[in-house]
Amino acid sequence: MDNRARMLRVALPRGFPGVAGKLNAPGRGAAPWLLGVIGAVGLLTAGGSATAWATCRCGKLPVSGEAARVIVGLCFVAVGLIAMSQRRRRRIGLLMVAVGLTWFIYDVGWVYMPLTYTIGTLGAGLYQPILAHLTVVFPSGRIRSPVDRTVVVGAYGLYGLASLGTQILWDPRDSGCPCPTNLLLLHRDAQLYAIAEQASSALLIVVTAAVLAVLVWHWRRAGLPGRRALTPVLAASMPIAGLVVATTIVGENFLPPLAVLALTALPLAFLAGLLRMRLERAAVGSLVVELEGSARIGRIRDALARALHDPTLEVAYWLPSQKGYVDGDGRPLTLPAEVSDRSVTFLERAGQPVAALIHDAEVDNNPELVEAAAAVARLAIENERLQAEIKAQLQQVRASRARIVATGDAERRRIERDLHDGAQQRLVTLSLVLGLARDQAAATADIALEQVLDEAAEQLRLALAELRELARGIHPAVLSEAGLHAAIESLADRLPVAVIVASSPVTRFEPAIEAAAYFVVAEALTNVVKYAHATVVHVTVMYSDGHLTVEVVDDGVGGADPSRGSGLVGLMDRVGALAGRLDVASEPGRGSRVTATLPCMPRQLPDNHGVGDSPPAGSLGQ
Amino acid sequence: MHVRACSVVLATVLIVDDHAEFRSVARRLLQRSDFHVVGEAADGSSGRAAVRLLRPDVVLLDIQLPDEDGCELCRALSAEPEAPCIVLISSRDASDYGVRLTSCGALGFVAKADLSVAALDAILEGRR
Repeated sequence: MDNRARMLRVALPRGFPGVAGKLNAPGRGAAPWLLGVIGAVGLLTAGGSATAWATCRCGKLPVSGEAARVIVGLCFVAVGLIAMSQRRRRRIGLLMVAVGLTWFIYDVGWVYMPLTYTIGTLGAGLYQPILAHLTVVFPSGRIRSPVDRTVVVGAYGLYGLASLGTQILWDPRDSGCPCPTNLLLLHRDAQLYAIAEQASSALLIVVTAAVLAVLVWHWRRAGLPGRRALTPVLAASMPIAGLVVATTIVGENFLPPLAVLALTALPLAFLAGLLRMRLERAAVGSLVVELEGSARIGRIRDALARALHDPTLEVAYWLPSQKGYVDGDGRPLTLPAEVSDRSVTFLERAGQPVAALIHDAEVDNNPELVEAAAAVARLAIENERLQAEIKAQLQQVRASRARIVATGDAERRRIERDLHDGAQQRLVTLSLVLGLARDQAAATADIALEQVLDEAAEQLRLALAELRELARGIHPAVLSEAGLHAAIESLADRLPVAVIVASSPVTRFEPAIEAAAYFVVAEALTNVVKYAHATVVHVTVMYSDGHLTVEVVDDGVGGADPSRGSGLVGLMDRVGALAGRLDVASEPGRGSRVTATLPCMPRQLPDNHGVGDSPPAGSLGQ
Repeated sequence: MHVRACSVVLATVLIVDDHAEFRSVARRLLQRSDFHVVGEAADGSSGRAAVRLLRPDVVLLDIQLPDEDGCELCRALSAEPEAPCIVLISSRDASDYGVRLTSCGALGFVAKADLSVAALDAILEGRR
C-alpha cells in the first residue's frame, strides 16, 4: 500500500478560494495536447479496425456487429479521456483508454496476413485483465490491499497463460476457416485445443467471479462517497460479467450486435460513478451555511464530519509555539501512524501547517471533496486554531499556577522542618541543660543563681513557644503528620472562641489540597476571632463525588467583604490554582459563611498515618 | 501486647534520637535518678539492634528519625515478645501528631523540652 500517497497535503492559498479548482494541489488533469493525441489514436484505431473488417475477404461478422464493437471501444476511450482530464483520475482514465485500445486488437485479425492474424487472435482478450484491473482499483486508481493486488496480478497472469496456451494449439485449418497461418502454432491437435479452450474459459470465469467479489467487498467496506462511485459500476458489471463470459464461451462472432452494444453500459457506469463523486462537492455548499452559525467549539469538526461523511473525523490544530498538534480544547494530540486505517490530510498555508484532518482512509477516495471542504472551512479553521492556541496557553498557565502553589507549599514545609531540626532542637536541648544547671544550683543551695536560671528557663520557654507558633504559621506539622481533621482540631483548640468541628471519615488528600483547605479554615477562623464577635463557629469538612468541601460558618456580625484586602483574596488564588472555588457569604447581622470546594481524589498512604483505628496504648504524657 | 512490667526502680533506658547533644543531656538528666541509661542510638536501625541486644526496660524514642518513622518503629518494637515500655519524644507538641501517637503502641509521649525524671515517672507510674 502506498502510504505516502495517503498523506494528502492540501495547500490553502492566501486569498479565499472561490472554487476548489484554484487550489494548488498536486495531480492536475492530463494536458489537453495529450488528451488530443490519445483521442486521435483512438479514432485512428477505430477507423483502422473498421477498414480491416470492411476489406476482409471473409467478413463473417455482420456490419451491425462490427459497428457495435467500434462503438464499445470508442466509448471506453472517450470515458477514459474524460477521466484523465480530471485531477487525480489520470490513472483510472489511462486504464479505461487502455481497455478501449486493446479492445480493437481483435480487429487486427481481419487483416488476413499470418502476422496480423496471429496478433489479432492472441490479443483479442487482452482488454479483459485490464478491465479487471480497472474494476478493482476504481475509483482511486490505486491498489489498496493485498487482495486487490492478488486479483489484478492473477488476472494478467492467468490471461497470459490461457491466451498463449490456446494459441500454440490453434490451427485455423481445423475450423475450415480460410484464415491465414497461426505463426505461434506449435502442435496441431484439435482435441487438445478444445480442452485448452475450455480450460481458458473456466479460468476467465474464475477471474471474473473474483473481480466481482472484490467489487462487492469494496462496496460493503466503502463509506457513503465510495458507495456513490461504486454503485453504478456494481450494477452494470453484474450482467456485463455474464455477457463477457458468454462472449468468451460462444465466441464474439455469434453474439447479437445488441448484446455487444450493451457492453457500452460499463464505461458509462464508470463515468456515472466519477460524476456522482463530483456531485459530492455539493455537500460543501451546506458546509458554508453551517459555518455561518454559532462560534461553538467543535462545530467545524461536526460540519466537516457531515460534509465528508466521516463521523469519526477529528480536526488537529497546529500550534507553532509547541511545534505540535492539539485538539479544539488545546490538549496535545498525536497524529495516527502512517500505517493505520486512519488517514491524515494536512492543511497548509504559505508552506506553514495550519491544521490536520484525521479521518477514515476511505475519505482519500474523494480528494476533491476534502480539498473543497478544507478551502471553505479555512477561515473558520484558522479561527478555531487560534482559540485552541489560547486554550493550550491557558492550560499551561493553569499548570504553571498549580506548580507555583505546590512549590510554595513545599518551600514552607522545608522551612518549617529546618526550624524544627535546627533552632527548635537546639533550644530544646538548651532548656534541658538549663534544667540541669538549676538542679545543681539547688543542690548547692545557691538561691540567687537558681532564680536567674529559673528566669532564663522561663524566657527560653516563651521563645520556644513563639518559635513553635511561627513554625506552625509557616506550615502546621500536624497537617502533614495527622491530616486535615487533626490540624483543624488543633487549630480550633487554640482559639478563644467555641469551635465545633464536624468531619467526614478521616481521609488524606494531596498535600496541596490539604494545605489549601487548612489555610482557608485558618484564615476564616482568624477573621472570625478578629472581627465577627461570634459565640460559636462551625467548621465542616466533607468529601463526596470527588470534591473536598470545607465550610466555616459563624454567628457573628457578618458584613465581611472578601475583596477588601482580606487574606481570603490570596486564598482565592490558591484555591483557584487547584481548580477549586472559594465563596464568601456575609450579610450584615447574619454571620458569615466561607466555603471552599476543591476537586481531588483521596490519597492512599503506605502506613496508617493519621488513621487512628486502635485504642490508646496508655496514658499520654503531660 | 507483650509489655514488661516497667519498674521505676533501677529501670534501664535506651535513648534513640539523632541529635547527639540531646542524647548527652538526656543521659545526664536521667542518670541522676533511678534510671540507668544503658545505651544510645542515632537512628532507627541501630535503635532496633540496641533494643534486641540491651533489652532495656524503657526506650525513649524520637518520632522523627533520619531513616524511619518513629511511630512505625514503635509499632514494630511493641509487637515483639518481651517488648520494652516505649515513650515517644519529639521537639514538637503532642498536638502536632494527633491520633498517630495513640495508635502505635507507645506507653506515652513527652515533649523534649518537658523531659524530666518526674515526667517520665508519671508516664511509667500510669503503667504500673
